[in-house]
Amino acid sequence: MAATAAQRMTESETRSEYLDKFKPRLMDWSAARVFMMKNLVIALRYPTNVLIWGLIPILWLAPYLLMMTAVAGPGTSEHFAEISGFNDFLTFAVIGWFVYRYIDTSIWSVGNNFRWEQFSGTLEPLFVTPVPWISILVGAAFSDTIQTTVSAFILLGMCTLLFGVSYAATMILPVIIVMLLMVLGLYGFSFMLAGMILVFKDPSVLTELISTAVFTVSPVNYPLQVLPTGVAFAAFLIPSTTAIIVIRELAITGIFQPLAFLQSIALLLGLVLFFWVLGVGAFKYAEKWTKTKGSIGGF
Amino acid sequence: MTTAKTEGIFEKMMEREGPRAEFRAATALAIKTWKVELSYPLSVLYFIVSPFLWFIPYLLVGSAVAGTPTSAVFGTLAGTTDWVSYVAIGNAFSALALSIFWGTGNTFRREQNTGTLETLLTTPMKNATLVWGQMLHNMQHGGLGVILQLTFSVLFFGVTINAWGILPSLAIVALAIVGMQGVVFAMTCVVLLAKQGWMIIEVIGSSLMLVAPISYPIAVLNPILQYVAVSSPLTWSVESFRNFLMYGLMAPGILESIVVLAILDVIFISVGSVLFKHTDRYVRSQGALSEF
Repeated sequence: MAATAAQRMTESETRSEYLDKFKPRLMDWSAARVFMMKNLVIALRYPTNVLIWGLIPILWLAPYLLMMTAVAGPGTSEHFAEISGFNDFLTFAVIGWFVYRYIDTSIWSVGNNFRWEQFSGTLEPLFVTPVPWISILVGAAFSDTIQTTVSAFILLGMCTLLFGVSYAATMILPVIIVMLLMVLGLYGFSFMLAGMILVFKDPSVLTELISTAVFTVSPVNYPLQVLPTGVAFAAFLIPSTTAIIVIRELAITGIFQPLAFLQSIALLLGLVLFFWVLGVGAFKYAEKWTKTKGSIGGF
Repeated sequence: MTTAKTEGIFEKMMEREGPRAEFRAATALAIKTWKVELSYPLSVLYFIVSPFLWFIPYLLVGSAVAGTPTSAVFGTLAGTTDWVSYVAIGNAFSALALSIFWGTGNTFRREQNTGTLETLLTTPMKNATLVWGQMLHNMQHGGLGVILQLTFSVLFFGVTINAWGILPSLAIVALAIVGMQGVVFAMTCVVLLAKQGWMIIEVIGSSLMLVAPISYPIAVLNPILQYVAVSSPLTWSVESFRNFLMYGLMAPGILESIVVLAILDVIFISVGSVLFKHTDRYVRSQGALSEF
């Protein structure tokens, strides 16, 4: 009994010593790793979730493909080939949806992370944990990226089986590089959303609004050429737009053009930097704002 | 308030019964949901722009492959070359269906999340009224969305609507709601049993939408899916709604569509109601109504 009490005392002293020495930091990678593992452990308890997220997008993608078939006939149309530069709209759309899964996750999962914690009743304990909030978000982003990668590949595999689409496997390395940069850029984008959701609370509407708007301007089902010029230009401010275009080009044609590739990488790097500065800044501001207002736990 | 007066109110509450009392309860629930929605300014903004935003991607997809607002290929499949009007009217109706499937199918779960399920379940009204009340709200919410989307489409995309078909198309909406309520009752059963029923709602809702002639005629589906399509009330609802709005009273094949829809309504609402009644009783007997 006495030994247990002494051990508890030592633990308690260690904790208070840690808290005394604690200095706020911008980023705590160890906390991010722990948070990522926590989310992955929860995800592993519901393996059907990952599977279902690989299959449900087929139900969303299919209406667009069927509409294209009904309007233009099976496979392609002269007008589509002319404006997009690709002959087959099926192959064109499937790769678009594959990449879009990451955009969707950055909006619905990472952006809404604190809201889901609030619903689970774990938001307050997280906020009193002496780690920077941004490291919690980075941890959530890592775990969501891993889950999304699994479900995106299930989607691609199912589409290959159902629609017979195929892509150039030789381009896998450049595709991975572009994907990594896009995902990094999207993290910044989702931090900004997380900040907005901390302020506005009601995530369903804000997230729906942003999600639908981003989907509309992204070249997922159609090339940017069908959008009005101003909107098409604005679409490039979303980190995924350039990535979708480059990945599609590489995966469908299988042709690697070093100069164009490097230009895209430079653009993506610029966007990553821009969105991280904007995202972290917006989140920090929202954090301060909600703390001042005392509205962190409010619905 | 005196004790006697309070007891009098309680007695009155407990004695209330009959369709009129249930309708009043359903109306109160619909108004309550409106008040909740309107207390979030972003909700109001989204409500206004969403019908527009949902339709745009379909319009862009069509433009990307057709290049013009008409298509000869579409004409051979759908009976009209004007794919823009076809898709706009179909999408407007799908906004109503989505609102009903999601809003009503998830009623119990949503009330549970906000901590008001137990309070509602101890209110002296039938449990099915809770679902009907939400349906009433979503009918109004989705109905306004249909009007907004059709107005946008007429003003900005050159969609033409036959004025003679407006009133009959409203009658079709009424018929459609009966059939969809049957589907919603079945969805509610899944939510009551599986709790995290969003997955099932998403799969059932998206599957019904996929086989319905919303943005394309069912002729583009494979034969098995075409069989599924003709047994769904949503298919006949969309078809009749659009035919009235495009061709007026003399819409081709309209009588057949209405008869089939009425038959499917009877089947779906009967099966849905029985399922809901049994599931509700089972979940209560297990004491699992408010479990997460």
